[in-house]
Amino acid sequence: MSPSPSTTAAAVEARQLVKRYGALAAVDGVSFQAMRGEVFGFLGANGAGKTTTLRMLCGLLRPTSGTALIDGIDIQAQPLAAKARLGYLDEEPFVHPHLTGREFLDFVADLYRMPRGAQREERMSRLLNLFDLAKKDGDLIGSYSHGMRQKIGLASLLIREPSVLLLDEPTNGLDPRSARLVKDLLEELAARGTTVLLSTHILEVAQALCRRVAIIDRGRIVAIGSMDELRVQAGSEGANLEDLFLKLTAGPESREMIERLLDAGS
Amino acid sequence: MNGVGALRVIVGAELRAMRNRLLKGNRTRLVALVIVLLLAIPFLGGGTFTVGATAGHFLPFSVDPLLSAAFTGLSLLMLLIGFPTVIASLFVGRDLLQLVVAPVRTRDIFVARLVTAMSANILISGVLLAAVLGLGAGAGAPLIYFPVALLLIAVQVLVVTSLQAILMTVIVRWVPARLARDVAAAVAGLTGAALYLTWNLSLRQTFRRTARPDVSGLTSLVQRIDWLPTTWPGHALTAIASGSVAVALVWVLATVLLAAILVAMAELLYERTLLVGLGVFGDAPAIWRRRSTPRPSPQPSPQPSPLRGEGNPYFAIARKDWLGFRRDVRRLTRLLPALLLPVGYAAALSQPARSLSGFWSNAALITFLSMFMASALSLPSIPSERRGFQLLRMAPLSMWLLLRAKVFIAFPVVVATMLVFSVAVAVISKSGVAQLVELVVLGLWLAAGFVSISVSGGAIDPRFDATDDRRSVGLVGSLAAIGGSLGFAVLSLGALALFVFGGQAASGAGNLGPIPSTPAVGFAMIFGGVVVLAFCASLVGALLWIANSRLRSFEASIAST
Repeated sequence: MSPSPSTTAAAVEARQLVKRYGALAAVDGVSFQAMRGEVFGFLGANGAGKTTTLRMLCGLLRPTSGTALIDGIDIQAQPLAAKARLGYLDEEPFVHPHLTGREFLDFVADLYRMPRGAQREERMSRLLNLFDLAKKDGDLIGSYSHGMRQKIGLASLLIREPSVLLLDEPTNGLDPRSARLVKDLLEELAARGTTVLLSTHILEVAQALCRRVAIIDRGRIVAIGSMDELRVQAGSEGANLEDLFLKLTAGPESREMIERLLDAGS
Repeated sequence: MNGVGALRVIVGAELRAMRNRLLKGNRTRLVALVIVLLLAIPFLGGGTFTVGATAGHFLPFSVDPLLSAAFTGLSLLMLLIGFPTVIASLFVGRDLLQLVVAPVRTRDIFVARLVTAMSANILISGVLLAAVLGLGAGAGAPLIYFPVALLLIAVQVLVVTSLQAILMTVIVRWVPARLARDVAAAVAGLTGAALYLTWNLSLRQTFRRTARPDVSGLTSLVQRIDWLPTTWPGHALTAIASGSVAVALVWVLATVLLAAILVAMAELLYERTLLVGLGVFGDAPAIWRRRSTPRPSPQPSPQPSPLRGEGNPYFAIARKDWLGFRRDVRRLTRLLPALLLPVGYAAALSQPARSLSGFWSNAALITFLSMFMASALSLPSIPSERRGFQLLRMAPLSMWLLLRAKVFIAFPVVVATMLVFSVAVAVISKSGVAQLVELVVLGLWLAAGFVSISVSGGAIDPRFDATDDRRSVGLVGSLAAIGGSLGFAVLSLGALALFVFGGQAASGAGNLGPIPSTPAVGFAMIFGGVVVLAFCASLVGALLWIANSRLRSFEASIAST
C-alpha cells in the first residue's frame, strides 16, 4: 500500500452518513473521503453496513441524515449531475435477462445519452472482447452464468467511462483469470484518474489494490487509513490486513467458537 | 425417514409456509382476502346451489345429463386452469431439489407435492360441489347422495391432477418445465377470458324475451360423450338419486378404480422423471432462447450503427420493453387474454343475432375493452423492471421520463387495437361516419387516460420482488388503478354525452325531455363537457404526479429475482 494522498480533491465523500430502519441504525455516522485517482477499500463483515453505505453514496438510498458527495456534488440535491459521473456495480449486478449482452450495453449507453455511431459500437466490441463475452454477445443475459453477469455489469459501467466507480464485491463469482483482469483493470483506471471505491470480503484483493481502506463494523467506521496507519491504530506492528481486520472487528473470538462447536460434537 | 414421517414433515413445512405467507405478510391483503371470501362464499356458492336446486326441481328427467355435463365440464376446466399449479408443485421450484437430495422416497415427495398440486383444482371444484349438492336437493335425492357427491368430486380432483402429472412427465421430456408452466398459464388465461366472453354473450341472450330453458342440446351432447370416464360420477349420483343402489355402487367403484390406476401410474412416471433429472434440473429461464449470432472471428469488426446522434433513454426503455415482450413467455401470456376479448367480441357481435344496437352500446364496449387492455399491458410495466429498476434509478434520468416511456410503449398497442375494434363495431352496427369519428376520438382519449392511470397504479405500489407480473402490484396500486380507471371512464362517457346532446341542443334538434333544446343550453352542456374533460385530465395528472413521487422516493431493497 502506498501512503495516503494529502492534497488531492475528494471524488467521493461521506459526511456523517446515517441510515436508520426504525430503531436499528444500519449505518451510524460514517464519514470518509476517497481521493481522485485512488482505489479506496471498504471492508466489513456481513451486515456491517457496507452495501447500505454504498447505496447511499450512489443515490439508491436516502440517508436518514448526513451527506453523500460525488465529485463535490450532493447526490440528494443534484441527483442527475452526480449520477452522470458515477458507476455502481451491485454484488448482484442489475441486468436485464431478456436482452443480449450487446443489447444491454447499447441500452445502458442510451440511458446515459452516449453518442451513437461507430465509436460506440467499437467500444462495445472491445469491452465484450476484454471480458471474453464476444462469443456470447448474441445470447440472452438470462442464460449467462453468475460470473458472466458480473462481467457484463462491469462492461456496462466501463462503456461510459464514469469518473467514480463504486463496486460492491466486483470479483464475486469470477474465475481466477477474470478476477485478475478486474484487478489489473482497476489499477489501470485509477492510474488514469478514475476513483474506485471497492467493497470486498477478499482482503488480499484490498491489500493489493487499495491505497487506503476503511473498516466498518456494526454501522460505524472503526479504522481508516493506509496499512501503516491501520497498524498504528490497531497497535499491531507487522500485521497483515486479515489480522488487522479481525482484530478491529473483534474477529478472533470465532476461533474459540469453532473449537467449542467441534468439542461439543465429539 | 419413514414414509409417513417424511410426508408429515414435507406437508407440515408447506402448511407452515402458507400460514406465514398469510399471517406474516401484508395485513391489508389478508383483510381484503377475508372480505372477498366472506362475500364470495354466500354469493357464488349460494347462487350456484340455487341454480342447481332449481334445475333439479324443474328438470327431474335431465338430472343425468346435467350431472354428467357438470363433471365433464369441471374436469376440462381443471385440466386447463389448474395445470400451471400442478406443474409448479410437482416439476418446478428449487425446493424440489432439496427434497430430491434428501433421504426421502420419491413416492413420499410425489404424495406430499400432490396435495399442494391439487389446491387450484380443489378451489375450482368448489363451484361444482355447490351445483351438485343443489341439484340433489332440488331433485329430492336421499341423504347418502350428499356425502357420496363430496367423495366423488374429491376423487375427480385426484383423477384430473394425476392425469395432469402423467401428461407433464411426457411433456417435460421435450419442453423445459418452466416453459411448460408458462404456456399452461397462457392457456389458463385464455380459457378464463373465453369463459368470461361466453358468459357475457350468453347473458345477453338469456335476457331476451324469447329465451326459454332448453336442455335438448345438452342431452344430445352428453349422449355423444357418455363413454368418457368424466361422466361416471354423474351416472353414480343419478343412480343414487333414483334409488338404484347396485348401479350406483358399480359407477362409484369404477370411478375410484380409475383414480387408483391413474395415481399409481402418475407416481411411477414421476419417479422415473425425477430419476433422470428432468423437471428438477431440466428447467430453463422463462425466456425464449435466442440463437447466438455466429461470428467469424473473436474480434469482430464494429458494425456501423444505423442510428446517429445522442442516445435517447426514452426510446431505449421502450425498445427494451418491446424486446422483453417478444422474448418473455410470461409477459406474452399476459397480453393474449387482453387481445382475445376485443377479437372475441368483434367476432361474436358480427353475428346478426348478437349485434349491438346503438352508439352508446358501442361506446361502452370500447370503454370496457380499452380499460381492460390498458390494465393488462400497463399496470405491471414498472414493477416488471424488477432489479433493473435500480439501473434506471442510478442513471441520470428522471422518474418522470420513465413514466412517459412506459406510457409510450403501451399507448400505440391499445390505440391500434381500439381503432380496429371501433371500425369493426361501427361497420357491424352500420353507424355513420360521424359516429365512427366520435368512437375513434373516444378510443384515443380513453387509451391515453387508461394507459397513464394503469402505469401510475403500478408505480404507486410496485412489488419489484414479484416473479409473476400478476402479483407485481400491491393492493394500494391496484385500487388506485381500478378506482382511477372507473372514475375516468364514467367522467369521459359523461363528457361525451354532454358534447353529443349539447351539440344536438345547440342545433335545436335535440330531444332532451324536460330540458329545452336551445343554443344556450347546448353551449352550456358543451362547456360542462369541457370542464369534465379537464377534471379527467387532472385526475390522470394527479395519479402520474403521485407515481412520480413514489418512484423518486422508492427505497426498499429488491431481492434477486
